[in-house]
Amino acid sequence: MPKKKVKMARERGHRQKASRKLTEMGQDVVNDIKNVCPPKLKIPSRSTSNIIYDEVHRYFVLGPRWGVRSAGSMKQVKKFAQLLCTADFAKELIKQGKFATLREMYYTAEGWEVGPFYDQGESDGIIEDLEAAFGLKREDLGLTPEEDGAAVYGKLVVNEDGVVIDATKAGRAGYTIPPTIDDVEFLKCKAKRVIAVETMGMYHRLVQEQAWKKFDSLIVGLKGQAARATRRFLKRANEELGLPVYLNCDGDPFGFHIAMVIISGSAKLAYINHELAVPDAKYLGVTASDIVNYKLPTDKLRELDIARLKQLQKDPRYNTKFWQSEIKKMLELGRKAEQQAFAKYGLAYVVKEYMPAKLKEVEEQEFLGR
Amino acid sequence: MKTMAEELFKEFREHSVSEFFRKNAAMLGYTGKIRSLTTIIHEGVTNAIDAAEETGVLPKIVVIIKRFDEEPEHFRVIIEDNASGIPEEFIPNVFGKMLAGTKLHRYMQSRGQQGIGVSGSVMFGQITSGKPATVITSTGNGDIIRADVMIDVDRNEGKITNVEKHKGKWRGTRVEVEVKDVTYMRSRYGPFNYLRMTAIANPHVHITFVEPDGTLTILESATDKVPERPKPMPLHPWGIMSDDLLILAKHTKSRNVVSFLSAELSRVSKRKAEEVCKLASVPPKKKPSELTWEEAERIVSAFKQVKLYAPPTSGLRPIGAADIESGMRQILNPEFVYAINRPPKVYRGGLPFIVEAGIAYGGSAGKTTDRKNENEEGEAGMELIRFANRAPLIFDQGGCAITTAMRNIDWRRYGVDPAAAQLTLFVNVASAYVPYTSAGKQSIADEPEVLDEIRTAIMEVARELRKFLYRKIKIKERQERAGVFEQHLPIIAKKAASLANVKEPDIKPLLKKVSGVDNAEEES
Repeated sequence: MPKKKVKMARERGHRQKASRKLTEMGQDVVNDIKNVCPPKLKIPSRSTSNIIYDEVHRYFVLGPRWGVRSAGSMKQVKKFAQLLCTADFAKELIKQGKFATLREMYYTAEGWEVGPFYDQGESDGIIEDLEAAFGLKREDLGLTPEEDGAAVYGKLVVNEDGVVIDATKAGRAGYTIPPTIDDVEFLKCKAKRVIAVETMGMYHRLVQEQAWKKFDSLIVGLKGQAARATRRFLKRANEELGLPVYLNCDGDPFGFHIAMVIISGSAKLAYINHELAVPDAKYLGVTASDIVNYKLPTDKLRELDIARLKQLQKDPRYNTKFWQSEIKKMLELGRKAEQQAFAKYGLAYVVKEYMPAKLKEVEEQEFLGR
Repeated sequence: MKTMAEELFKEFREHSVSEFFRKNAAMLGYTGKIRSLTTIIHEGVTNAIDAAEETGVLPKIVVIIKRFDEEPEHFRVIIEDNASGIPEEFIPNVFGKMLAGTKLHRYMQSRGQQGIGVSGSVMFGQITSGKPATVITSTGNGDIIRADVMIDVDRNEGKITNVEKHKGKWRGTRVEVEVKDVTYMRSRYGPFNYLRMTAIANPHVHITFVEPDGTLTILESATDKVPERPKPMPLHPWGIMSDDLLILAKHTKSRNVVSFLSAELSRVSKRKAEEVCKLASVPPKKKPSELTWEEAERIVSAFKQVKLYAPPTSGLRPIGAADIESGMRQILNPEFVYAINRPPKVYRGGLPFIVEAGIAYGGSAGKTTDRKNENEEGEAGMELIRFANRAPLIFDQGGCAITTAMRNIDWRRYGVDPAAAQLTLFVNVASAYVPYTSAGKQSIADEPEVLDEIRTAIMEVARELRKFLYRKIKIKERQERAGVFEQHLPIIAKKAASLANVKEPDIKPLLKKVSGVDNAEEES
């Protein structure tokens, strides 16, 4: 299949691109040394004042400010050396087709000439510098976060290092998204949409009730705040497979925000949001309106919830009619509800009644909107 | 008709010198177990240095303090000099007659203004131990005299109780006094610190010191120049206190107060003396020796109401910046030393004085805890050593203008943390009219001009210290800077070459370039 080959080439490409950029940096530094000029590296500033909400792309990006890391500065020369050591380590990982966790890389540095890092925060900072400087993801550099991504269930077949996995035949827990999701090739996908849910409880409910079949959907269990790999998976499903992404979280400010980080990215990762954010993902629920419409069992909003809701009201990512009215409504209600509150009406209710209604609502809206 | 006070004073003078001594013990420095011992050392050493200087030789002083076995407060104090020696017939007077020293009636800018001289030590020894002092002396004529001297308290006279003669080639004087009820300690107030300070302010003096535990310390001299002797000159009325006036009155040859005042004091004419007597309600024809304390006080205050010429400034004898520096360098072995002497100034409208200051950093400067003693106070930080006419001021530090001046300075501005700095600050006030706060003569009064001048002097030396410390930091920074680049640039070159898969570039030219100036760019 020619299509498959193109995809394979693309998958390898991002790491090759990373390797090429590191080589170029090395060459620039060598040239600077030969020209008796202190080597420098321009790195976009990641300070809060340089993080800007991009209205067009609908996620946070870095502003125009940048800093210079110079090997000619007494304060920066050590960081510069650490950065090159890290780059060299990353290049070696790419060459060998290996991955290392951030923690492993932190420990590897113990044996470096430049000396160990003070703490993992320091080594993570260097990696973020490299990511920001070249617009690369750490995964492209062969570095992965500690945790696995979430689980996927549904009609998706992937090729992971030559192993073909069908996400409906990987047991009840489904296919586990690896930190190296970018190396995974999507072979076949019959699903027409993605439904991602906050809790694994809900995930298993949807799998048991065969929601994946019913809605022609991939079910993704986020396990709370979505890992980078999960977000990367959702982004690829959305862009490569052209699937709309729907999010279902608890009806409280923290649930809202789990969804929003997937949609619009986080401020902290502003330098890499173009690789992570899924701006077209839609929030299905639980909304404040759902609480009223479905007469869900609720808890009282804690002070913390109220404060958080008020914060969200001012957050540019929530500056839409939908979010503003839902946040306002929740504050008025003074109540919140979990996803699993639908069990009030029986275990299957959420799949039989709630989801179909919500999907109809958004897809029609979407349809009408076009 | 004689007043009651006159009667009493006469009695007191004639009958009991030992009572005078006891009553004035505090004023004379014999108070407290540590201080009394330090005072004995002070009197002996001051005498010894003065004697050697007058002889025209570089003073070589030996001080030995021996403790009697199993008697912690019983000592033998031995002080030896290399001066001219004392002819036998003068021994009773030099060591045995209270208030008969050479300095009491000869006012000049000298170390030994406080106390009543070495006879006070003999007296103190006699009172506490009951033993005579032993004087061994020779004028270098081949005869060495060994005499035991006691004070006949009824007659206020020295009495030789035993004398021996030996043949021997030696010149000098050795005084041995046995004392009880004193304590030896290596604290700020003890003999060790006194001698250390003396050595700093008198770099021409060589001191050998043996402590009760046998520890030998040699404080080497730093110059071989005997300082010029101050010239005796009459006191100016602005600078005298009641007790000065009374002591002068006891020794004057004048028969009445008017001629006494004009003869013994500087810038006082007969007419002025008469004017003062009138103001003070003192009979002008009264015998000076019959003046009472109250009358003396009135005369002192009357002098402030009449117009007088200011005293001459020519008699001032500072130590000199070079000698202060060599003294501090010799004793403290510092990294940095700097001293100045300020031009002469006047206070109270005309009393001349000179302030000198020195500062030493590093080495054994500063308060230290390793001055070897179980009784050592755990002190650290900046040390202030105070002097008046080269004589160490050990006691009453808190009330002294020098201390006030030092505390008024914001030391952080000079890069100094007073609580931690290895720093010794030296201040000497030279004047025939040092404004002491009290008769104990251990601290200087807050005369505005004097305080101001001390402050200025301290700030002047502190500024030099700041320059030194700044240079030191700069050099250290430059070394650190070079070190940082030497450590990291080779790694950068190596890793960059590895990344680019090329040969490692030569980093030497770049290393040389960046080690000098910082060319970091800030965020744009």
